[in-house]
Amino acid sequence: MDFIKIYRSPLFLKVIFVISIAIIFFIAGITLKHIHSLSNASNWVNHTYRTAIELEHLYADIKDIEVAKRDYLLTKDQTIRFAINIYKKDVQKSLEKVKALTQENKEQRKNTIILEELIQIKYQNVDKAFALVESRINDNYVVADELLSGKKAIFDIKMQVEKMVKLEEKLLDIRKANYEDNQNLTPIIIYLLLLFILGLLSLAYFKMNADLINIKKNNDELILANESSNLAEIVGNYGTWFLNLETNEYTLSDNEYRLLGYAPQAFTPSLEDFAKHVHPDDYSYVKEIADSMIHQEILAPFSYRVIKKDGTLRHFKAMGRVVENKSNERILIGTTSDITDAITASEELEVRNRILEANNKELQAFNYVASHDLQEPLRKIETFISRLIDKESESITETGQQYLSRIKASAGRMRILIDDLLQFSRTTRAENIFEETNLNEQLENSKAELTQFIEDTKATIVHEDLPSLNAIPFQIQQLFTNLIHNSLKYSKENSSPLIQIKVDKIIAEKESLLNFQTKDSYYKIVFEDNGIGFEQEYAQKIFDLFSRLHGKTEYAGTGIGLAICKKIVENHKGFIFAEGRPGSGATFTIFLPVG
Amino acid sequence: MQKEYIHIILADDDEDDRLFFTDAFSELKISTKVQTFNDGVELMEYLNQEDAVLPQVLFLDLNMPRKNGLEALHEIKANPKFDSMAIAIYSTSSSEEHIEETFVCGANIYIKKPSDFNTLKKVLSDVVTLNWQYHTSGLNKDNFLLRM
Amino acid sequence: MKAFLKFDFTVLTKKILEEKLSQWGLKYLITGFGEVEFLEDIPEDKLAEITAILNSYGIEIIENQKTALVQKIKDTIIEMVFSDSPPTVKASAYLADKLNHSYGYLSNLFSEVTYTSVENFMIIQKIEYAKQLIVNDKMSLTEIAYKLNYSSVAHLSTQFKNTTGITPSQFQRIIAKRREIANTK
Repeated sequence: MDFIKIYRSPLFLKVIFVISIAIIFFIAGITLKHIHSLSNASNWVNHTYRTAIELEHLYADIKDIEVAKRDYLLTKDQTIRFAINIYKKDVQKSLEKVKALTQENKEQRKNTIILEELIQIKYQNVDKAFALVESRINDNYVVADELLSGKKAIFDIKMQVEKMVKLEEKLLDIRKANYEDNQNLTPIIIYLLLLFILGLLSLAYFKMNADLINIKKNNDELILANESSNLAEIVGNYGTWFLNLETNEYTLSDNEYRLLGYAPQAFTPSLEDFAKHVHPDDYSYVKEIADSMIHQEILAPFSYRVIKKDGTLRHFKAMGRVVENKSNERILIGTTSDITDAITASEELEVRNRILEANNKELQAFNYVASHDLQEPLRKIETFISRLIDKESESITETGQQYLSRIKASAGRMRILIDDLLQFSRTTRAENIFEETNLNEQLENSKAELTQFIEDTKATIVHEDLPSLNAIPFQIQQLFTNLIHNSLKYSKENSSPLIQIKVDKIIAEKESLLNFQTKDSYYKIVFEDNGIGFEQEYAQKIFDLFSRLHGKTEYAGTGIGLAICKKIVENHKGFIFAEGRPGSGATFTIFLPVG
Repeated sequence: MQKEYIHIILADDDEDDRLFFTDAFSELKISTKVQTFNDGVELMEYLNQEDAVLPQVLFLDLNMPRKNGLEALHEIKANPKFDSMAIAIYSTSSSEEHIEETFVCGANIYIKKPSDFNTLKKVLSDVVTLNWQYHTSGLNKDNFLLRM
Repeated sequence: MKAFLKFDFTVLTKKILEEKLSQWGLKYLITGFGEVEFLEDIPEDKLAEITAILNSYGIEIIENQKTALVQKIKDTIIEMVFSDSPPTVKASAYLADKLNHSYGYLSNLFSEVTYTSVENFMIIQKIEYAKQLIVNDKMSLTEIAYKLNYSSVAHLSTQFKNTTGITPSQFQRIIAKRREIANTK
């Protein structure tokens, strides 16, 4: 948890490093102190033994003095007095040394003073002895008395010296005890700290190891990515380039060279060398963009032409962006792709489209003119026939009259066919203009157009209030007319037709008839009649041009009406569906986009 | 109706249509004088004469060589001399937009050439009668629009 | 600068008559719409002169009594249709009453002379008025239908279409387009 986080953090190694240094200094400090104590201890031992030695020297010298004194007493040799003076000097030296050695300890100082006094008493004793000799007193008791007091003095001095030595030893012991305490504690601290450091350093080692492995892995992936990027460039036919905005240095990828027809890294990348390949007509345009791209954060996609090394013309598209790398340098990264194929393809497509459009226009014109021009002779035929029937029926035989009436019927059928064809060709003409159209108005127009038929069939048309939308008014009227006409035509024999027109506003994805999922809104207009209906399996076929479900003797018709409806609905980017219920009626559903 | 005849002019390049037209009028009870011209050029030549007797109703076919009906219509509407004439476009089937266009350009009447002779007689009779109403009752000829 | 005009023929003709007849120093009385009584006899040649000049204004002297009556019928019908407060009685009754003949006689006479029926003529006039109102552009079709005593716009549309062959809205559109073209000239 938290520890893992700390472990992972980049500060970890730094912190470990700092802690380790601190601990090492600490250990050094402790060790120094320890050594210091050690040397102190040895100094103290030194000191104690030196004091003891000096005290022993001193005692030895005092004893020598005593011996000398006794010798003098015995021999009365004057040279012994000189020896005694030398011994006194030695004693004095030792005493000085002892003083120096004992000046730190208060008790020892006192002892030293007492010792000094005792030594003085001894000297007095010695002086007394000398005086005795001088005075030639041979009193054995005085001498024995003198020797006794001399012995006592030495004994006191011995006791004092012993006392002092013992005291030094005791002091040494105390210091030794202290030293030992310290000596026991310090190694433990040092060892614990050492272990701690070892622990930290191990952690650091593991982390560094892990980091190293990671870096190596990243490196491997980078190499792989680089390779795959190079490959991708070749496959995708594009190249990449970098411009270091701080140093103005260009770097081109291998494929960037290949795009221009060179081997990778064939020349040192520079703007001038690149510019040499730009098509002269596009040169100033490209230069302008190149100049401005350095100032802007982004290089918007733009295209231009180049001439490859081998002289061929290609279309390039370039774009780029400025990024900052880890060293805080601004690098413009760009991509150049060769879009020549796409452009050629789209140009070809355009050409083909134009040809198709031209063909289409020709066909439409042909269709229109044919239908239109066919009307003239047909009309004449019909008119002359009507004249014949009218004016000359007396002079024509009954057979002749029959033939005439059949000719008239055929001509009538031809008329309807041509009318319908003309209508069809009109719905496909491109010059139709969209305008705000009130569908109710167009419905009324349709009803007016079919007034006679509606009256003859005693039909009822019921409709909801229709919306207004962007449409071609005449075509909408045609659409409604054709649908209503169909319903009236295919009505049941002994019942009056009832046509119901309903409207709803729906969303594409919620409508089952529409099989695309968008949120576009459509008006759903439903024409439902109670006529003879049709088999549902023909629901799509009836919209085909010239397709009919009945023979011409059963119901007159050309099979164009619904094809026209479909064309009109398609012109408006809408949809039309049919549903038939044989014997009960048909429903036509129209979807027109809102707006 | 009146003592004089109604003066009618037709411009149509089709011989049969001219025949139908004159035959129809001759069978009507209305006394009319019918003149026909073969195309727009002949028509305008006649109309532009100083002393031309203007018809009450002028019937114009749309598709004529040299000068078609629409061109003639524009020329006529541009000349105030012809303001008293009612102009009828007499044509084969046209799209709704075309029909509306002829009205917008100033035609008073649009007639789709019928394919039955009796129908033709009735149409021509109605046109002439209605026009007479306009003529005699002070109705605004600018608003005279009729479609048959 | 463009101005739209409306013509009141009654006032116009009266003004011209007054002007012209006074010019000639004739004594006269205007006894009704389309009727002038001269207080003195006028010689033939003078009458011919007056007739000619009045003709140039589009004013005709109707000589035939039958024609005159037919004219009266027309005038009455026009008055009825175009008035702001149409008579509450049936047209036939109103005509018979106003012109002092039986409706049957009037209707027959009318058909004989004009080759149209009185009803037809009335419809034509109504539609004419509707056209005027549409051209004026100040009323909606619903308002126009109401003003002309149609039960609904559809009813007006039907009769309009039966008479002219186009719907009122088509008529509206054509007039609007004509106006547009005239404006851009």
